[in-house]
Amino acid sequence: MTQIIKAQGLTKSYGSLRALDSVSFDVEVGRIVGLIGPNGAGKTTALKAILGLIPFEGELVVMGKNPYMERDSIMRDVCFIADVAVMPRWLRVHQALDFVAAVQPRFERARAEGFLAKTDIKNSSRVRELSKGMVTQLHLALILAIDARLLVLDEPTLGLDLLFRRQFYDTLLNDYFDKERTIVITTHQVEEIENLLTDVIFIQRGRIALANSVEDLGTRYVQLTATAEQARLARQLQPFYERAVFGRVVLFFDGRSPQELQQFGEIRTPSIADLFVAKMQGEAA
Amino acid sequence: MNIMPMLIRRELWEHRALWVVPLLIAALIVVAAMFPHASMQIDAEDVASPQKYMDLFALFHSAMTVPQLLLLSVLLPYYLLDCLYAERKDRSILFWKALPVSDAQTVLSKLLVALAVIPLGVFVLTLFTDAAASGILAVRFHGSPLVRAFLRWDTQAWLHTQGLILGALIVVILWYAPLAAYLMLVSAWAKRSAFLWAVMPPLVAMLIEKIAFGTAYIARFLGYRLRISDLLGLNHGAGRAAVAAGEHASGMLDRMRPWEALANVDLWLGLAAAAALVWLTIRVRRHQSDS
Repeated sequence: MTQIIKAQGLTKSYGSLRALDSVSFDVEVGRIVGLIGPNGAGKTTALKAILGLIPFEGELVVMGKNPYMERDSIMRDVCFIADVAVMPRWLRVHQALDFVAAVQPRFERARAEGFLAKTDIKNSSRVRELSKGMVTQLHLALILAIDARLLVLDEPTLGLDLLFRRQFYDTLLNDYFDKERTIVITTHQVEEIENLLTDVIFIQRGRIALANSVEDLGTRYVQLTATAEQARLARQLQPFYERAVFGRVVLFFDGRSPQELQQFGEIRTPSIADLFVAKMQGEAA
Repeated sequence: MNIMPMLIRRELWEHRALWVVPLLIAALIVVAAMFPHASMQIDAEDVASPQKYMDLFALFHSAMTVPQLLLLSVLLPYYLLDCLYAERKDRSILFWKALPVSDAQTVLSKLLVALAVIPLGVFVLTLFTDAAASGILAVRFHGSPLVRAFLRWDTQAWLHTQGLILGALIVVILWYAPLAAYLMLVSAWAKRSAFLWAVMPPLVAMLIEKIAFGTAYIARFLGYRLRISDLLGLNHGAGRAAVAAGEHASGMLDRMRPWEALANVDLWLGLAAAAALVWLTIRVRRHQSDS
């Protein structure tokens, strides 16, 4: 498999704060990677480094290039939607189409116009006249009309209502994603993208807490729900996190087989959201 | 693919005042020419002298042109201070930087707008304004002494006057290029209140020099770089003597030799400084994202 992003000892400091502390990970072509972490964990910093928006220490290669030194050439193949609406408020819709068409060789204008035709967005409107949901739709219409290899999304649905969020991810999966493309997405609303992802990277305080494909999560992690009595026995198998729910105990195990554990109670593969909480709380403990 | 024309159009979309204000002024001048309250007294002898005629002709046509160009001394510094600051203030820098446009292309497009597109565009606009306004006046005052005084069309004299103004404009642009680059650098760098960041450092430096050494070299240097009358030869001995002798002010335009300023080594040193500041601006812009 080919790697589209390769980070080795990636470090970024803001003064004495280490936003990224020697982080290493790879992203392969054709995957949908969720970069998941609490606020301030370093998600956005990692994305900014990948996009060439900030200088960094360590090694980071995106499509064979150093993103900070060659941002403009990388951006021919990369698209980015930031965590807030960042389209300039004075821009008109047709101006946005004109501009992107002129500077982005992979942009297919008719496709963007097709997306926009399905919305209530008028060609002559300024961004400042659009609602937040419409601005996201406009941005998405521009981005999805670019035949890019890597799509980077930073909290793309923040502040949008449920309908827009559903629509956003549906469009993304149905009209955009294929085996040639790669998507890296950050969010702290894990549940929302849980079913989308092929890979997850948990990031906490500038370090990677977990990096796995979703298939591997099922073989590696087991969630056991047991009574207090059974839990006492199960603890000998060293769960990395546990919590009490309605008088029962939920324990999380790493690298234990289901056969080993099923004698103690109900077992299942944890959801990404549960695993995220377990990992974050477990590390903190 | 040459994307520079689109980058320039982008600037004109965002900063509409750059072309709307000059167009409004031009329209105002043409409209004013339709409703003139001319009450000018012309001496018969004055009109009889060809030199006097040339002076009045040049004065009239520069009066139609120069005010619009002077307007740029307000519009352009404002634009330069805003052009790399606004995109960080509204975070749209993340949108622009997500497109395959290099920081050098972005910075140069903005510099090109300030130093070439707008000044030369407004100059061309003034030519049309001047031609239209003087045409209207010539028709309205057909047969009056005003026409004999300076409204009679003289293509050669007109080209001569406008050529001098264009020459002066180009020299002034080259002379102010380092100032423009400095304002862009502040615009790219300042976290807030770009205007204060542009004005305070030189003022503080002047104050410190004054207090520490009791001298005023910085102030004198800045005064020298901001003044253009020397550069255009308007303050040279001959000019000053002429003014002292009570000669008509319009004679000054005739003595202006803008191209001679190209021999001034300070002009070229200034351009070198401008190049260094632009390079620095590109570096700073590469470093900037939304926070």
